[in-house]
Amino acid sequence: MNDALRGIFSWDFIAAGIRVTTPILLAALGALVAESAGTPNIALEGIMLMSAFTGVVVSGFTQSLFLAIIAGIAVGIAMASALAYFALKLKTDIILAAIALNIFASGGTIFFLSMLTGDKGSSASVNSLIIPNIDIPIIENIPVLGDIVSGHHAITYVAIILIFVVQYFLYKTPLGLRIRAVGENPHAADSVGISVIKTKFIALLISGFLASLGGLFLSMGYVSWFARDMTAGRGWIALAAQALGGLNAFGVAAGAFLFGFTEAASYSLQFFNIPYELTQSLPFAITIIVLGFYAWRKLKTTKK
Amino acid sequence: MKANNRFTIYRIGIAIGIALLIGYIIVFISSIPSGDIAFWDKMKEAFDSANEAYRYFLTGTVVKWRSSGAAFNQSGFIQWMNESVPIIITGLAISMVFSAKQFNIGAEGQMFLGAAVATAVGIYFPGIPFISTVVVIVVAMLAGAGFAVIPGFLKAKLKASELVTSLMLNYVAFFMGLFIIKTFLRDTEAGSLVSLPFQEGSMLPLLNERYKWHIGIFIAIGITIFVWFLMKKTTWGYKVRMIGDNQDFAEYSGINSSKMIFQVQVASGAVAGSAGIIELLGYHGRFLWLYSPGYGWDGIIIATLARNNPIFVPVAAFFLSYIRVGAKIMGRYTDIAPEIVSILQAVIILLVTAEAFLSKWKQRSINKEATKSNKDLSLERVGEAK
Repeated sequence: MNDALRGIFSWDFIAAGIRVTTPILLAALGALVAESAGTPNIALEGIMLMSAFTGVVVSGFTQSLFLAIIAGIAVGIAMASALAYFALKLKTDIILAAIALNIFASGGTIFFLSMLTGDKGSSASVNSLIIPNIDIPIIENIPVLGDIVSGHHAITYVAIILIFVVQYFLYKTPLGLRIRAVGENPHAADSVGISVIKTKFIALLISGFLASLGGLFLSMGYVSWFARDMTAGRGWIALAAQALGGLNAFGVAAGAFLFGFTEAASYSLQFFNIPYELTQSLPFAITIIVLGFYAWRKLKTTKK
Repeated sequence: MKANNRFTIYRIGIAIGIALLIGYIIVFISSIPSGDIAFWDKMKEAFDSANEAYRYFLTGTVVKWRSSGAAFNQSGFIQWMNESVPIIITGLAISMVFSAKQFNIGAEGQMFLGAAVATAVGIYFPGIPFISTVVVIVVAMLAGAGFAVIPGFLKAKLKASELVTSLMLNYVAFFMGLFIIKTFLRDTEAGSLVSLPFQEGSMLPLLNERYKWHIGIFIAIGITIFVWFLMKKTTWGYKVRMIGDNQDFAEYSGINSSKMIFQVQVASGAVAGSAGIIELLGYHGRFLWLYSPGYGWDGIIIATLARNNPIFVPVAAFFLSYIRVGAKIMGRYTDIAPEIVSILQAVIILLVTAEAFLSKWKQRSINKEATKSNKDLSLERVGEAK
């Protein structure tokens, strides 16, 4: 019991929460950029999985961290461009196309893993690399702050910086403005000369890039191997975080942290006889209530 | 047959053909042996083993290949029938909501929770043959329908996107279902997390004891006929489809579309709710899922292939489970992992739903037909004038 209390209220818990949040946060930022252009990207799950897989395989075969990261990002963007091509050019329903890509990623990674290593469960036999943690000089020596702020995975810092970058990008740059215009009202955007399809295409590619970082974090930082279906629904959770936070990067980040910290807490709370199933489903229930509330408020304002 | 329908069939056929071809190329590439032999020998060896793998893949479900010749594969056939059952039912559930152009993908959760709740009844309700089976299935349907009330209400009353809410609810249903099994129904003597076994009398009758062929397939066909009748032959179904075709038009002609959307979501939830428990009652005899088995997602593939027409849902489901069982058999006899089937599924969905795929050809054949009927018409007129 005391251990559990310490587990929740220690500074390590905050560090753990940040670690669990990282992949959700990156994918949620991806969901945000796509949603801003009015094209929901529900292939995040598949994109993350493919990038996680590619990173491990490429680093295992080339022993080059640089190539692994490039390949992982490239595969994520390729998945996103497949989604964009089918949805925007071939007029496939974007939800169905994304579901197809998720199926492809889930089974395809297992298939290729088994073809390459003979093992279907994990890439344990591949000698893959990990992306290192970063200790921030000076801060790492400050007692509490050091534990929380320093020593995280490189991608975690990238993710935190990306919250600000994405917010700036969407609200302060011409391309971001175009993306939001297309998402807000494609006809109006079209009438002022913005190419709707091109803009949506770009938004989906950026979304794929962000999700691929989340995937790389999973297999090259969070753990040091690839396991089948290792994304375990984080792509869907990211969508929930985005829905919770609206079209604002800070709101979305808050949503991602809510999910990440609930997950981290649910393990410790088991010691209090609070079943982890209940704590795990809580953020989803909260999301549904919040979405219902948003919809109700919107309905009320439009009726007036 | 109208050019449009004919075209749809061609397109699905071409999509399946392309998918099988891509699968063959992947199998071929993964069959290329390493080692120090001449290029053409390698190719020949790969060709031979790819052909063998594909023979198991495409025929293994129903044919047993022995050195003495081919024989009927009874276990494969029964596996094929049994695996079709849950995905026919989720396919029907999804096709109902898709007909109204609603994107409720909550079938997975409704199926899971329905099965978990009904498991309690299956364990504790006295095992009277037939009656208790019906009671268990009805409870599963009620649980599925009850859970579908939430996204249905949010969409119909508040206009909240059913896509996101039904997705979220899948997780809630999953955790709730696991919680019910773990806390109240767990068989503590079993090594893994499974429920207590069902009452003997609640189980579905078997057609074949050895391979456990249960009558679920007939229940699934029965539900298909019911859903077909409901969607195609009743006013209610007509209204639902009208909303799907043109919601504004439906509203103008006096249909209360939010009420109908709510009703179809709940009805679909009831159908989905029964999908999982039927498999448990027929095959496993207890609740044993630690992961959501994915039948709700399969239902989306099937409804898409069947173009939301209930009568085609079993056809699509039989096709899907045929290649899945075939892939498993291929995996048993060769080194090819059966997960290759996911790659084929993805290609098929992408091509079948890509409206612009082959659309030029479609336009041409429709034009041709239109010109032809114009000609016929003018000929008739000439005849009348005479």
